[in-house]
Amino acid sequence: MRLPDTSDTIAAQATPPGAGALAVIRISGPAAFAAASAFLSPVPRSPGHASARLLSVKEGGALVDRAVVVFYRGPASYTGDDTVEISCHGSPYIIRTILNLAVKNGARPAGPGEFTLRAFLNGKLDLAQAEAVGELIAASSAGAHRAAITQAEGGLSSEVRVIRAGLVELLAELEARLDDSYEEVPALELKAFSGRAAAAGKKTLGLASGYEAGRGIREGVKVVIAGAPNSGKSSLLNALLGYDRAMVSPRSGTTRDTLEAPLEINGFSVLFTDTAGLNARAASPLEREGVRRAEKAIAAADTVLLVKDASIKETPGDRLAEREIARLALKSARLVRVLNKTDLRGRKGRASAGCLEVSAKTGRGLPGLKAALVAEQEKVFRDGAQAAVTSARHFAALAAAAGELAGLAALLKKKAPPLELAAERLRGALQYLGALLGETAPEEVLESVFRNFCVGK
Amino acid sequence: MTAFNRPDPFDVIVIGAGHAGCEAALAAARLGASTLLLTQDLDAIGLMPCNPSIGGVGKGQLVRELDALGGEMARTADLATLSSHMLNTSKGAAVRSPRAQCDKKLYRAAMKSALEREPNLRLVQDEAAAILTKRGKAAGVLTARNSRYASKAVILTAGTFLRGIIHIGLDSFPGGRYNHPPSNLLSKSLAGLGFRLGRLKTGTPMRLHARGIDFSKCERQEPDSPPVPFSHFTAGIKNTQLPCWITRTGAETARIIRAGLHRSPLYSGKIKSTGPRYCPSIEDKVVKFPHHEAHHLFLEPEGYDTAEYYVNGLSTSLPEELQADIVRSVPGLEKAEIMRAGYAIEYDYSDPRQLDYTLEARDLPGFYMAGQVNGTTGYEEAAGQGLVAGVNAALKIAGREPLILRRDEGYLGVMIDDLVSKGVDEPYRIFTSRAEFRLLLRADNADLRLAPRGFALGLLDPALKKNFEAYRAAVETLVSGGGAGKIPAGPWTIEKARATAAIEKSYAMYVRRNRGEAEKLKKFEQLRIPEDFSYAAATALPNEARQKLERSRPRTLAQAGRLPGITPADLQLLWVLLEKRGRTAAAHE
Repeated sequence: MRLPDTSDTIAAQATPPGAGALAVIRISGPAAFAAASAFLSPVPRSPGHASARLLSVKEGGALVDRAVVVFYRGPASYTGDDTVEISCHGSPYIIRTILNLAVKNGARPAGPGEFTLRAFLNGKLDLAQAEAVGELIAASSAGAHRAAITQAEGGLSSEVRVIRAGLVELLAELEARLDDSYEEVPALELKAFSGRAAAAGKKTLGLASGYEAGRGIREGVKVVIAGAPNSGKSSLLNALLGYDRAMVSPRSGTTRDTLEAPLEINGFSVLFTDTAGLNARAASPLEREGVRRAEKAIAAADTVLLVKDASIKETPGDRLAEREIARLALKSARLVRVLNKTDLRGRKGRASAGCLEVSAKTGRGLPGLKAALVAEQEKVFRDGAQAAVTSARHFAALAAAAGELAGLAALLKKKAPPLELAAERLRGALQYLGALLGETAPEEVLESVFRNFCVGK
Repeated sequence: MTAFNRPDPFDVIVIGAGHAGCEAALAAARLGASTLLLTQDLDAIGLMPCNPSIGGVGKGQLVRELDALGGEMARTADLATLSSHMLNTSKGAAVRSPRAQCDKKLYRAAMKSALEREPNLRLVQDEAAAILTKRGKAAGVLTARNSRYASKAVILTAGTFLRGIIHIGLDSFPGGRYNHPPSNLLSKSLAGLGFRLGRLKTGTPMRLHARGIDFSKCERQEPDSPPVPFSHFTAGIKNTQLPCWITRTGAETARIIRAGLHRSPLYSGKIKSTGPRYCPSIEDKVVKFPHHEAHHLFLEPEGYDTAEYYVNGLSTSLPEELQADIVRSVPGLEKAEIMRAGYAIEYDYSDPRQLDYTLEARDLPGFYMAGQVNGTTGYEEAAGQGLVAGVNAALKIAGREPLILRRDEGYLGVMIDDLVSKGVDEPYRIFTSRAEFRLLLRADNADLRLAPRGFALGLLDPALKKNFEAYRAAVETLVSGGGAGKIPAGPWTIEKARATAAIEKSYAMYVRRNRGEAEKLKKFEQLRIPEDFSYAAATALPNEARQKLERSRPRTLAQAGRLPGITPADLQLLWVLLEKRGRTAAAHE
């Protein structure tokens, strides 16, 4: 059964979802301070009540954002419990990262109206406000909470349903044996059972990790700028960043080492890598090392920007770059061809079919290029994360279910697996998936037992 | 004929002396209520009309819980045990359950004697005909012989007697069980009081004479040595232990059954009501599992001084001559003589959703129902409900707090919550899979879970309390890694403490998880929904949820949460509405 829990710690975006310059993320409950402290830097030690601090939000040592953080000690908070409010930048990536951090550190994604419910039950809201609480819960439950999974996520829900049905059958296999008073049911075929359990675990884990909206959103899109020497790669990087990160000169081969620079585009993190020009005739050991590093970067790229010089005709160097990229880049990587220096293009300039035309010097075409770089991420985000909170809830449920199934796998590896404990793990996983689908049905397991096993006297 | 008003009203009248009735009567009388037990037949007290076994997976836990609460079934079974088996010994402790085949006659005699020894209890052989009410409350019983007994509470444990019809082949005749007339008047009385009644079906196999059984063709199933008693208070089982025997049906059996299906009341459409899936008839097994070549049969002795054997697994309502063919198709039974034919029985049950957790009718205060009349199956399920009804009837009269067991406290709590929350659509049997806190609800810790309640109620011997408390402390210390202290002499010993602590430790992580969940649940169990709560006015709730809640009128927020289709959001809303109502009421005071 799923009951509203008011004794744990919850987290959610407190400001309306959607683009806003700033967003507030609220964490409330007995472990609110601990959860927030785990990713804030410097670690706030015994913060005073209602004191605001400018702190860094860090994920694995990397800076996510600088945020104003206010600590409220219960009962003098909105909910009546210890509460942390983090005012961060309103980028969906930042909001999502902070929520994920809160969840990883002990908070649970809040359901609709949960903060207000707690506030009411803790006596923070008066009777006259009770109706409003009801309306709030009703309104939000009509949407995300009631349907448990939104329309846009229909694909996910059907996949979860399939996993769940499989787990019900697995649990029935165990229950039929545990409840067997006459030792009539043949022994469990452990190998087949373990195989099915492992497959379900893998699928659940896959859904959970897929739900973090891909590496692109979590870690940023890796864009490698590559091309023939002197095609204007570093100039393009500087133009995209808006400041001079790379040294540039009119001479070929100025960039010897790879060079990285992050940039946020429409709320998505992009990590650019500028590389040395791909030159088959690289003479010096230093230049050869630069090419080697460029090749390595290309091999790890999500997107390769192949830069060509618009002011000259296609060169053997361009052709070499095309070949090398085709050879080195991942199959999943995108290739974006960019025609740079269009400001210098004379009549001799080449055709631009299949290329984005830009000018690092004048800035022409840069907004289009930026948009193209995050187009896929935006699509994922639009489809899957209409409300970041909802998504975080689903992620938490899937991850917890996957955790139970990992526990199951460990039990099944034992010499004589304790079936009643294996059943506990399956029950746990089913409960989490049930919460995600808005379904609970212990009767289903019995149904399956009686359908599949001739038990009883 | 005018009714004869019996002078001297009783506190509690129990109708029926089956497993539910006996526990109800004893519990009420032992708690100080002057109690009358009405039965059609004093010789049928504590009768086991079906199998000769007490216990089983889940059921064994129930029996030990009953014992920890001061019930009678465990002790009686220990006196009558003729073949004791601890089940699931190859599996974990949580699903290990005691079961014993009992001498049916010894069981009846021991139970009757326990009833007769009870000073507060009177036994009268008469048939109850109607429940009497006064100002909307139960007020007594009118019998078929036209006696009027007044009482403050009435407990109905009618078993399968309400409008019972017995089927053997396409023949059918009225009966509450074989050779006993049904209680048609009582069924009418209940309907007249507005109770929703439904029909269920159950069945029993044939009994064979031992001399026709070739035991050499059967597999011998040895009893446990030494036998483990059900009761915490039984020092040891003294009866000689007998084996049971295993044989199996074959292709010929299946052929006979398939050829005779048109003469089956189940498959000809004569019986329309639902039977228990867990106790399918052999015709059901053959039809539903055609690819199973054999079905196990267990031959169980019905007593020490009888030749009758119970054929566990061969429940059937096929015509008698087909039953004979079926039996003779089984290895070892080629020359078997049927002494009693198997049969099916259809009967009225009362929708248990009309009851509160105390098993008192929600719309008829003072009226309780327990056992098969609530749609359950099994002696243990009946006995458990009987105790709860008897205890609560007496507690209410004494003005004491009711006995309500939560799902994390016992299978008794699981069963009663299932019954009163979800109702039944087949005869309800307990399974460990019904318990979400299975690892907490073990046979080995039934005493730790419920004996404190037994002592507090006054149903356990207060002289044993010191022994129990020391035992409980010892288990706790052992679990947390300390050494056990001294335990004063008594049924609870240091060896038992060590064994239980070891189990508790082996489950430690899961037990902690279970307890955490149970703790959360407890809060919601305590959030009561008043009987007069108006869902119609709760417009904030979605229509669908409102209708569901209206229909089952849950008593607590936790119970509401267990209703299918009620979402956490619905619960939150309901919670807000309850809180609001509470505060408004407080403001008016």
